[in-house]
Amino acid sequence: MLALLLILWLPFTRGIWMSLHEWPVVGERTFIGFDNYEFLLGWDTFYISIKATIIYGLSTVLQLVIALVAALLIVNQKWFKNFTSSLFLLPYTLPPVVSGTVWLYLLDPNFGPILTALTDYGLLENGLFWRSSGDLAITVITLVGAWTFWPFMFIIILATLQSIPEEHYEAAKIYGANRVQRFLKVTLPQLKSAIIVAVTLRTIWNLSKVAQPLQMTGGGPGYDTSVLGILLYRFASDNGRMGLSFAVGIFLLLLTSVFIVVFIRENRRSQQTELK
Amino acid sequence: MTHNTVKASDYAFTLLRYLTLFGLLGTILIPLAFVISVSFRPPEEFFTSGVYLIPKNPSLEAWEQALRFLVEPLKNSLLIASGTTIVSMLIAVPGAYVFGRKEFPGKDIIYYALFVSLLFPHILLIAPITDIWFEIKLYNTVIGMWLALQVFVIPFMIYILRDYFEKLPQNLEEAAQIYGCTEFTAFVRVVLPIAMPAVVAVAFLAFLIGWNEFLFANMLTSGQGPRPAIVELFLLTQGTSGNVYWGRLMAITLVLGTPPTVLYLFARSYLGQAFNIT
Amino acid sequence: MPPKAAQETDKQSKSSPSTHVLIEDMRKTFDDGSIVACQDINLSINEDEFVVFVGPSGCGKTTTLRCIAGLEIPDSGHVEIQGREVTHLKPKDRDVAFVFQDITLFPHMTVRQNIQFGLDMKTSLSGSEKEEKVREVAQMLGIEELLDRQPSALSGGQQQRVSLGRAMVMDPSAFLLDEPFSALDANLRDRMRIEVKKLQQKLNKSMIFVTHDQEEAMTLGDKIVVMNDGRIQQIGSPYEIYNEPANHFVAQFIGSPSTNLMPCTLEAGRDGISISSGFFELELPPDLADQINGYEGRVDLGVRPEHLELGEDGIFEADIQVVEPHGSRDAVYLTAGDRELVAVVDAGVIPQDRDTIQVDMDIDKIWLFKESGERLL
Repeated sequence: MLALLLILWLPFTRGIWMSLHEWPVVGERTFIGFDNYEFLLGWDTFYISIKATIIYGLSTVLQLVIALVAALLIVNQKWFKNFTSSLFLLPYTLPPVVSGTVWLYLLDPNFGPILTALTDYGLLENGLFWRSSGDLAITVITLVGAWTFWPFMFIIILATLQSIPEEHYEAAKIYGANRVQRFLKVTLPQLKSAIIVAVTLRTIWNLSKVAQPLQMTGGGPGYDTSVLGILLYRFASDNGRMGLSFAVGIFLLLLTSVFIVVFIRENRRSQQTELK
Repeated sequence: MTHNTVKASDYAFTLLRYLTLFGLLGTILIPLAFVISVSFRPPEEFFTSGVYLIPKNPSLEAWEQALRFLVEPLKNSLLIASGTTIVSMLIAVPGAYVFGRKEFPGKDIIYYALFVSLLFPHILLIAPITDIWFEIKLYNTVIGMWLALQVFVIPFMIYILRDYFEKLPQNLEEAAQIYGCTEFTAFVRVVLPIAMPAVVAVAFLAFLIGWNEFLFANMLTSGQGPRPAIVELFLLTQGTSGNVYWGRLMAITLVLGTPPTVLYLFARSYLGQAFNIT
Repeated sequence: MPPKAAQETDKQSKSSPSTHVLIEDMRKTFDDGSIVACQDINLSINEDEFVVFVGPSGCGKTTTLRCIAGLEIPDSGHVEIQGREVTHLKPKDRDVAFVFQDITLFPHMTVRQNIQFGLDMKTSLSGSEKEEKVREVAQMLGIEELLDRQPSALSGGQQQRVSLGRAMVMDPSAFLLDEPFSALDANLRDRMRIEVKKLQQKLNKSMIFVTHDQEEAMTLGDKIVVMNDGRIQQIGSPYEIYNEPANHFVAQFIGSPSTNLMPCTLEAGRDGISISSGFFELELPPDLADQINGYEGRVDLGVRPEHLELGEDGIFEADIQVVEPHGSRDAVYLTAGDRELVAVVDAGVIPQDRDTIQVDMDIDKIWLFKESGERLL
C-alpha cells in the first residue's frame, strides 16, 4: 500500500522541486526559485492558454446536455435500450487519438466529406481552413471533445435514472404532475448528485486533456488552442524545459482543484447517506 | 388512471423524441459509415470530388498498407497494455479488497490520498516521471511503460473495485472462517470467485487504458523503443494535410478502435454501478 | 446422523463436565471502549440445551454470540467449549457452526458445494464420504432435489435451510444461530421454528439462538437469556421468565400484549401496607406485606393483561377505547386516570359498544418493582 502511494506521490513531490529549477532533460540544472512561476504570470501567451483551457473545459456543459437528453430518451425504451446505449458509447470507447484522426478526416478542408458537402451545396465558397483560424480551431476542438467524451456522463446519468423507482413517477402522476413537472420535481432532484459527480469529474478531465486537441491543431495557430495541458506538453517535449512544464501543471492543478474539492465533498456525502 | 387520453401533444412529444434519438445516433453512425467506406477506397479515389458513401472502386489496398504498418506497433501496444493490466491487478485487487472490507488505522487518509490521485490531472506528472525514468533507466522500456501507467490505472481500479467489494454481503468471509478458512483463504476461495466478473471487467478497463494512452507513451518511448500504435497513429496525422492517404489512416483507426470498444462494452455495467451515486 | 462422528463427541462429553459452553465475566467493547457491547456475561450451557438470547436490538446478544463463535475476541473474561479454553482461538478451530442473519450462501457455488464447503476446508474425507454426509443432511432437511441448484434459484426459506445444512454437516459441538429467520415471512418463520426445534431434539446438540422476537424466544428455548443494555437481565425457563420476571425490563419485554405497569406509592398505614395509584388503592395482605420488609415510596406495579379482570365490580373504573379481536381472545384497551392499560379476556365477553367497565386485579398475581427496576414482590 505504501509503495503504491510512493508511486503516486513521489513524482509529484519531485515535480515541485523541479519547478523551482531551470531543468533541462539532460545537462546542468540551476536553481531559480520562483522564476518559472513569475515568468508564466508575466507572459501574455499564458493567458491565451488559460482562456483556451476554459473554453475547452466548457465543452463539459455541452456534454452534459447531450448526455442528459440521450439518457432520458432511452431510459424507457424496452426493445433497443441496450443496443442503442452501446452505440452511444462508441465515441467514448475509441481512443481519443483515433477519434481525433477520424474528425481530422471528416473536417479536412480538401478531402473531408463535411466541408466538401458544404461547398458542393454552395454554403461555403471555399474549403474552410479552420486550422489556421484561432476562433474556428478552438471551436472545432471543443466540439470534437464534446462528441468524444459525452458518453461518460451518459453512463452515469443513465445508471442513476434507472435506479429511480417507477413508483415515484406513478405517485407524481396520481397527484396530477404533468410531464415537465415530473421531470423537474422527480427526475432532476434525484439526478442532482449524479450530475454533480459527472460534471466535476468530466470538468477535471476535460481541463487536462491533451492528446486529442494536440493532434488536431498542434496547439496552434500560434498558441490559440494551446490549452494548459498542451502548453505543459510543449515545454516538456519540444523544449525540454521540465521545470517550467511542471510549473504550468501547478496552475492546471489550481484550476482543477475547485472541482476536486466539490467531487470529494459530494462523494463523502453520498457515502454517508448510504450508511444511513 | 384507467382512461389515459392520448392527446396530440403526446404524439408530438413522441415524434420529437424519436427525431432527437435518430439525430444523436446519426452523429455517431454517419462518421462511422464514412470511416468504413473510406478505408475501402484506393488512393486515387481521394482526388475525385463529391460526397458519397459507397466506394467507386472498392479496394483492400488501404487495409494492406495499414496492417503492414501496424505489425510492430501493435505488438508494442499489446505488450504494454497486457503488462499494465497484470501489474495493476496484482496491486489493485488486494488493495481494493482491503479498502472495501477491512478496517485499519489511517484507512481514510490513505484512501483519500489515493482518491485524490484519481482526480488529479495526471499530465502534470509527465515532467517528473520522464525525468525519473531517465535517471533510473526505465526510459524507452516496456517495464517503464507498465509502471508509469499504474499512476492512473490503479486509483481508477481501486475506486471501482472497492465499491464492489463493499457491497458484497457482510458476513461472507465470516461464514467462510467458521467453516475452516483463514482470512486469506476466505479471500481467495470465496470473495475472489464471487467478484470475478467485476475483476475481469476492471482488467478490461486497465487494458484499454494501456492501449489508448498516448501522452506518457509518447514521452517515454522513442522510435527505437517500444512505441505503441497510438503514438504511431498520432505521428502519422501530424504536419501532413495535402497528400495523406486517408484510406490507410481510416483502416488504422478501425484496427486500433476495435479492441477497446469491444472490451468497454463488456466492462460498462460495472463502470455505471461504481459511479451510480444517488 | 453420521454414527462415527456422533460417538466421538459422546466420548468427549463424558470426559468433560456436563457444562458444554461456559462464559465467564465476559466483556466486549467497540470503538476503543467507548461503546460497551456486553459486560458481566456469565453463562453456562449444557450439552443438549436449546438456549435463546433475547433482547431489543443493540442489547449485546449478537456480540455475545459472536464472541462464542470467535468472530469477535472479548476484551476480558473467557469462553470455554467442552472444557477447552477457546477465548482467543480462530473461528475455524472452535468446532462451532454459525448460521447468519442474512443469508450467506456462497453465490458462486451450488447448494451441494455450499454444504460441503466446511468438509472441504477442515477434513480430509474422501469424495464419497463427503457426498454421503451431504446427502444425509440434505435428506434430513428435505432439500435433496435442490443440491445441484445455484443459491440464487432458491427461495429465502430454502436458502436458510441450506445454511443449516452447511452447519449440520460439520457435526459441530454447538450451533450458533443469529436471527436466522428474521428475513423470512411470518408463516415460513413459524414452520422453520418448529423444524429447528425438532432438529435440535433429534441432534441432541446445544443450540444457541439469538432473536429480538420474544415470542420466538418463548416457543423455542429450553433456557432463555434475556438481555438489555449489554447485560444479562434474567436466565430461566420460558415459564420462569414469563411468570416470575426478575425486573421491570423483563416484565415489560416478555409477553404480548405487554405487561401493564403503573407507577404507585407504597405506604405503611394503620391497617398494614397499602398501594395507591392515582385511581385505586390496594391493601397488601399480611403475608405479602412481610415480604417487602417495610419498603416504602415509589414503586411500579406490574400486572399481565390476562390478570386484569373486567366486570361489574372492581377497584376502579376504566374507559374502553378499543376491543381488538385475537381469535379466541380479545385484547381490551383501556384508560384509567391518565394511564393506558390493556386486558386480555375471552372473545366476545366485552360488547364492542360498551364505554366503561370496572377493573379488578388478583393481588397474588401482581408484581412490584423498585424504582431501580429490581423486583420487590
